[in-house]
Amino acid sequence: MALRSDYESQLERADSYRVATVIATDDDNRTADGHFKSRRKMPAKAAKKENLDDLKQELDIDHHKISPEEMYQRFQTHPENGLSHAKAKENLERDGPNALTPPKQTPEWVKFCKNLFGGFAMLLWIGAILCFVAYSIQATTSEEPSDDNLYLGIVLSAVVIVTGIFSYYQESKSSKIMESFKNMVPQFATVIREGEKLTLRAEDLVLGDVVEVKFGDRIPADIRIIEARNFKVDNSSLTGESEPQSRGSEFTHENPLETKNLAFFSTNAVEGTAKGVVISCGDHTVMGRIAGLASGLDTGETPIAKEIHHFIHLITGVAVFLGVTFFVIAFILGYHWLDAVIFLIGIIVANVPEGLLATVTVCLTLTAKRMASKNCLVKNLEAVETLGSTSTICSDKTGTLTQNRMTVAHMWFDNQIIEADTTEDQSGVQYDRTSPGFKALSRIATLCNRAEFKGGQDGVPILKKEVSGDASEAALLKCMELALGDVMNIRKRNRKIAEVPFNSTNKYQVSIHENEDPNDPRHLLVMKGAPERILERCSTIFINGKEKVLDEEMKEAFNNAYMELGGLGERVLGFCDFMLPSDKYPTGFKYNTDEINFPIDNLRFVGLMSMIDPPRAAVPDAVAKCRSAGIKVIMVTGDHPITAKAIAKSVGIISEGNETIEDIAQRLNIPVSEVNPREAKAAVVHGAELRDVSDEQLDEILRYHTEIVFARTSPQQKLIIVEGCQRMGAIVAVTGDGVNDSPALKKADIGVAMGIAGSDVSKQAADMILLDDNFASIVTGVEEGRLIFDNLKKSIAYTLTSNIPEISPFLAFILCDIPLPLGTVTILCIDLGTDMIPAISLAYEGPEADIMKRRPRNPDVDNLVNERLISMAYGQIGMIQAAAGFFVYFVIMAENGFLPMKLFGIRKMWDSKAVNDLTDSYGQEWTYRDRKTLEYTCHTAFFISIVVVQWADLIICKTRRNSIFHQGMRNWALNFGLVFETVLAAFLSYCPGMDKGLRMYPLKLVWWFPAIPFMLAIFVYDETRRFYLRRNPGGWLEQETYY
Amino acid sequence: MSKNNGKGDQYENQFPQPAEKQTLSEMIYNPSKGTIFGRTGKSWGQLFLFYAIFYIVLGILFTICMQVMLSTMDNHQPKWKLDESLIGTNPGLGFRPLSEQTERGSVIEYDRKKPAEYEYYISLVDEFLKDYNHTEGRKMKHCDFKQNHNDNEVCVVNIDNFGPCTAANGYGYKTGEPCIFLKLNKIFGWVPDFYESAINGMPADLQELINATSVDERQQIWVSCNGHLSKDKEHFHNISYYPSQGFPAYYYPYLNQPGYLSPLVAVQLHAPPKGKMLDVECRAWAKNIIYSGSLRDRKGSVTFQILLD
Repeated sequence: MALRSDYESQLERADSYRVATVIATDDDNRTADGHFKSRRKMPAKAAKKENLDDLKQELDIDHHKISPEEMYQRFQTHPENGLSHAKAKENLERDGPNALTPPKQTPEWVKFCKNLFGGFAMLLWIGAILCFVAYSIQATTSEEPSDDNLYLGIVLSAVVIVTGIFSYYQESKSSKIMESFKNMVPQFATVIREGEKLTLRAEDLVLGDVVEVKFGDRIPADIRIIEARNFKVDNSSLTGESEPQSRGSEFTHENPLETKNLAFFSTNAVEGTAKGVVISCGDHTVMGRIAGLASGLDTGETPIAKEIHHFIHLITGVAVFLGVTFFVIAFILGYHWLDAVIFLIGIIVANVPEGLLATVTVCLTLTAKRMASKNCLVKNLEAVETLGSTSTICSDKTGTLTQNRMTVAHMWFDNQIIEADTTEDQSGVQYDRTSPGFKALSRIATLCNRAEFKGGQDGVPILKKEVSGDASEAALLKCMELALGDVMNIRKRNRKIAEVPFNSTNKYQVSIHENEDPNDPRHLLVMKGAPERILERCSTIFINGKEKVLDEEMKEAFNNAYMELGGLGERVLGFCDFMLPSDKYPTGFKYNTDEINFPIDNLRFVGLMSMIDPPRAAVPDAVAKCRSAGIKVIMVTGDHPITAKAIAKSVGIISEGNETIEDIAQRLNIPVSEVNPREAKAAVVHGAELRDVSDEQLDEILRYHTEIVFARTSPQQKLIIVEGCQRMGAIVAVTGDGVNDSPALKKADIGVAMGIAGSDVSKQAADMILLDDNFASIVTGVEEGRLIFDNLKKSIAYTLTSNIPEISPFLAFILCDIPLPLGTVTILCIDLGTDMIPAISLAYEGPEADIMKRRPRNPDVDNLVNERLISMAYGQIGMIQAAAGFFVYFVIMAENGFLPMKLFGIRKMWDSKAVNDLTDSYGQEWTYRDRKTLEYTCHTAFFISIVVVQWADLIICKTRRNSIFHQGMRNWALNFGLVFETVLAAFLSYCPGMDKGLRMYPLKLVWWFPAIPFMLAIFVYDETRRFYLRRNPGGWLEQETYY
Repeated sequence: MSKNNGKGDQYENQFPQPAEKQTLSEMIYNPSKGTIFGRTGKSWGQLFLFYAIFYIVLGILFTICMQVMLSTMDNHQPKWKLDESLIGTNPGLGFRPLSEQTERGSVIEYDRKKPAEYEYYISLVDEFLKDYNHTEGRKMKHCDFKQNHNDNEVCVVNIDNFGPCTAANGYGYKTGEPCIFLKLNKIFGWVPDFYESAINGMPADLQELINATSVDERQQIWVSCNGHLSKDKEHFHNISYYPSQGFPAYYYPYLNQPGYLSPLVAVQLHAPPKGKMLDVECRAWAKNIIYSGSLRDRKGSVTFQILLD
């Protein structure tokens, strides 16, 4: 006991989940970890964490064990009359509505503050505060303070606030996606209160309410069933079992999830009707608890968030380093400390790419939109890229890889296996529908079948029509409808006289019909069921239109066919029929289905039909794409290993020619234990094996097998597998639709929920929702994610480049004592004005090569911003840009009278208001006002020249390896960006009033040109660099400059 | 890890290789790999060489551009003149003595009893007038209003005409009657358009002076000084201008003539207030000099402060 409590106190939330829902295994009263799980007798102090307390409560449930009377008493209810209104009201007030509490949201103001103070915002706030400090000092010490600093401080604050609001807006917009899922059609429940049947909203249910549910309803709360008629529930969203489970009033199992007399909140009733007493509501339901645990799982940062933080740290580091260095240098050079502070502000403003984070947000939003149009709905903006980094996908089988509908795949008649068409659009092979064997088989399949199409689906293709009834019967119905046409009409013509429905002891279903042929008064007996049971009841077999004696040879043939179809993972049914002799069974004969008064032996065997949930058409191609993209696809399913393996093989998760240990053993005819596990590339791991596997062994499985299928897995094992992959350093995507998947979805780097089949809780836990439930959409997601990662690199490279021409004027100003070549306001005009649209337009850039042919990035090594990118942007292109800016500066100064040499050391006089007659190289004397006009004109020209060189930068950033002549200029957003930045620059320069507002002055046309040689230099340099990059793959140049 | 059991070259199912963790000292110098800050000596060398070549080529490009640009420059006249240039056509005024310590601003502040303080200003004026004193070897001519003026000729500025504002007198600084020298900013090719008669808006004394001046000599850019603000105006009286209250026409236009010296007007304040800052504004008067006294947008004028203890 002591050991146990130690153990428990070590449990983390994730583990607690595992303990919480150990259900799929036979209940030996132990958890998967081998510990006793009934905690009823455990001392309460054993667990400290709140969620562990929750768990205990769950296992404390005894509502299913106690006698019904005790239960009625406990809830003060009555099976016929239900609760009194007063009691119901009291309970509602006490327990609150019967709904899941939405996961705790970060308060809006916290989110807003994060946007306002996160990232570069802090640095800019410091800049703004320094501005205000400098201004207030100037204001108190000087009689006529220049309000430049006040102005800049206000501008900086405005920039931070506006970009903060913008990011916040973008974020809240994407989180609104979820709200569309929240506002679902309200659920109603039929409740008996004070003997009256009422229809109430499901939220208004309370403990002790007596509710009635019928097929098609969603169970409104956890209920104990007190009356049931043929009642079946689909627990798949809770437990992963895909078969409907029958439910009744008898207590059959200790485990609440196994016992027959409980039905759970938000599962679906598929058949029959039932009446039950509500035993828990809202968050206290099993579903509510799992949802709560999932939302408590810590998910960590998304890969792109890590990259952006890494990048922010890098840039902030550079800014602080440069700022402090020059602050100190300025002191050493004897500047006034206030001047040094102003330099510090300038360096910070120049270093911070103010617009970049907004650009990244917009780029991600654009991709999210593009993905939404391809059926990938992204809930969390940053998850857009995560899929691109994904190196392992743990995919569910049912519904994601497969069509989630049983379809007839094969038939065996006339001693041959016929393949049926399983494709979604009926494009597959067709078979002969005229042979007598098929006619006989189809007659049985049509008549011995209770499934019917639901009404009102006239326009819907047959395969997509909804069917009421069991999945296998639905498959047969659809198959027959396709083969024969109007099934209902055929059934009408062969009126059903009697029927024995399928039950698990007989394992067959029989019905007796009138004969279609009016001249034949005989009745037709048709039977279907488990093949071996059917065969037992037959003495003859119908082959090629003739009835033959069922001899050993035929039995052998049957067995071979049965084995073969079973080996494909298909569910096989046998069919037989018998013409009842009309003398013994004349028209009007009363058939008794309880005490059978007709022959059910010595029948005529007709054939087999096998069904499978076939893979979606696009999946094999998508899996192949994932493989060539270096992504490991692991199938994790609750289904049988044989079925799982068959689907895995057909979609390529286990590729052709790859063998599992069992295959090798079979081939070499040696026991499984003698096979070297490393020889087998593929592995099919059964959930039962996984239960005894240590972390190290799981790691080995993941490491040494390239193709893995986990079958019969329980939800907690899914979580273990995800954690195992993450331990190996993989970025893991998980698909799932059930509530039981939600912890794994949450734990995964990116959880992908299913939009159609998915439960709300799984959608809540996921980062992305596949609207069409199709695995192939994940591949589009991967592609888009990788593309946006590449394009963000380009966008950042583009934006960072202009940092050098922004910082260098300040450094020259301090070190060379020249008049300031570029002002802070103009820097902001570049960062937040002209650079924005072009940087965003790079998000529209197409891929350079097939991005699905390379392996996923290594999150530890392949960073968004790496030293090569910095080296290119800062060390090379940025330097050329700075040269262009300084050249324009010197040209304008010289043409107006200040030759370059005159400028060095002139700064103090230049900036002194007292000096109203500063002499230039031609003896002209400049007033303070005139030379400031000259200086601001230089700022404008420097700004314009940055725009000009950014043209070339934008074009070279389009590609990282290819030539622009190969890539083309088809990105119209980018072309628009080029025009836009030019028009904006011209506007800022020439619009009247800009001299007052932004201190931008109109330029002579010729002053646009000095930057052009440098623009060409950038273009030529980078084309050349990329030419050598392509010529020498892996060479020095690539190692040093390929970002 | 990451070697899958298949062929080694098949990367597709490898898990990513995590980055190696290294200590700080390893980051600086890793003896096993021989790397300093993550690179070997050779690698650093290659990188250095690459950047050296890159910057040399960039430097050459920049130099070529600068040379081409400078070759279009004239040695004697700026490329853009007057309205085409940003200097414009509206000259401002300058004053001396002006401390080269810019943080002192435009204040002339000294204690009459402390020679070190006023000697500083005297030395500033001496320094300024050095060019005017040493005119040897310059081709200059004594001009007056009656002569015809040739644009290429340079007229003498005679420092003996500054009345009491002479070096011998310490420019009045010793005696507490400081002389301030005003000059009009040189703008290449700028030709003044004179007021040949008094206009409204001129200070009364200037109007009187113009009316008293012979018509020939009215070819001057007039100068007037006054207290900047009304409180200063109260204390602003008893001043004289030498040699006259204006810059004569024959000094214009300025064409960067060799030996050209700006004409000066010395303003002597005979009774500046003691222990009180006097803010003086001087402005130039010509038809093509636009005046603006605003703090931010000063045109055609200059201000300075005098504080005598």
